[in-house]
Amino acid sequence: MAKKYGMIHDNNLCIGCQACSVACRSENKIPESVYRLQVWVNGPTEYPNGTLGYEYHRQSCVQCENTPCVSVCPTKASHVNEEGIVLVDVDLCVGCLYCIAACPYQARYVHPVTKAPDKCTFCHESRLSRGEEPACVTVCPTDALVFGDLNDPKSKINQVRSERVTYRQKEKLGTSPKMFIVPNHKGGINS
Amino acid sequence: MNQIWGSMEQYNTVVWHWPIAVYLFLAGLSAGAIISAIVIKWMKGNDVSPWDGIIKAGAILAPVTIGVGLLLLITDLTRPLMFWKLLIHYNFGSVMTLGVLALFVYFPVVLLFLLGVFKKELVENGPFKFLAPIADLALSQAKLIESVTLVLAVGVGAYTGFLLSAMNSFPLLNTPILPALFLASGVSAGISANLVVGLLFFNSSTNEGNVSYLHGLDVKVIFAELFFLFILFVGMMYQGGATAHVAKAALSTGGLSTLLWFGVIGLGLILPIGLNFALPHGVKHSQGFVIFNALIVLVGVMALRYYILYAGQTFVG
Repeated sequence: MAKKYGMIHDNNLCIGCQACSVACRSENKIPESVYRLQVWVNGPTEYPNGTLGYEYHRQSCVQCENTPCVSVCPTKASHVNEEGIVLVDVDLCVGCLYCIAACPYQARYVHPVTKAPDKCTFCHESRLSRGEEPACVTVCPTDALVFGDLNDPKSKINQVRSERVTYRQKEKLGTSPKMFIVPNHKGGINS
Repeated sequence: MNQIWGSMEQYNTVVWHWPIAVYLFLAGLSAGAIISAIVIKWMKGNDVSPWDGIIKAGAILAPVTIGVGLLLLITDLTRPLMFWKLLIHYNFGSVMTLGVLALFVYFPVVLLFLLGVFKKELVENGPFKFLAPIADLALSQAKLIESVTLVLAVGVGAYTGFLLSAMNSFPLLNTPILPALFLASGVSAGISANLVVGLLFFNSSTNEGNVSYLHGLDVKVIFAELFFLFILFVGMMYQGGATAHVAKAALSTGGLSTLLWFGVIGLGLILPIGLNFALPHGVKHSQGFVIFNALIVLVGVMALRYYILYAGQTFVG
């Protein structure tokens, strides 16, 4: 069976250290002022017992299965590869920015050099093709990121998904992201 | 949400800017101009040369406005020199591809209409003598070509609405009424532009009866627009949740809501309706008033496109 790559971001393990963001920039040679990945902090939030805590948000492509960006692209420059990764074929892109507007997750930006939209590719063109995990996953000091094949019942990502509660952002839009979030144990879930 | 490190600039939800709003306006105007010209041409006594000034105005406006709009659209691409890839690569699930395909046929047929209407000026006494067979075809098959044009014009007028409504993360855009609102306001803009150009440049050949007819039709279309706008916001309110919040914000926040209330609704819709009820018959049918009325309608339609595009992308819930 074809692979279907997905990722988990565990909100309890994440400490907002930005190692993933730096590793992404370095691995993918991201130009200044644009980002495939950022980690945002929400809070401090007050819990019912009066203590304070932070929530972390991984801001990147969530690799939808029903992809608004691919549906609207007039030239099929935006496409999904056989491993379920959403990619941009720069050669076919005219730069209409329909995909950037249509993305509900603000995951795309205009690459300052190619002038075509660019986004997280799970390091598809570099590390993944060599059989390695994405750079962000490798450098995470708390193992808050888990990567793997959703079609393989034995994969690490499916082990974690079987043990932990996960949710996906903006599920009501029907996009079926392959980015799963382990919510903070404390307080409520703000999906 | 606070970022910890890095610029937030790329996360602005406003992706499409004013050139797109102008294109949406011009595409609607083009469709409306050719629709109202064909409607006039099909009315009794107008189906023979010399053509009415309104028909001449529509024949010129339709190809010119869509042409200018498309040029603007191409220069607004971030990779404008790659625009030709749009013409040979298709995604039939994308409204943009469907728009490209409609324009492929629409542009030639409105040019054909122009050639037929201005056969004398362009072909017989003009520089396009070699196009004589095509001009003859345009005239001999006029009814068929015009029927096809009418269908395509409705497509062009409505597709700009579908283009925006296809994006389900923008509650103000993602509504089924948007294509109808854009088609109606496009028809209104087309009628108004035809009246202005017909009265200013083809005054001697513009029949007063046709002017009154179109002017009266415009007021009716404006009523429809007002109703569609009402449906848009009431519909959003009834959906509740984030969509209702977006509707409230879009109606009440900042310069955009001021533009909606004063530019779109006040100047573009209420004022023309009010003046048409309040003014005496003589004034209402004077050329000066018809032109003034048409100009404020045009400003209102442009304001509507600008408002919808920006408010739609700004208020995302």
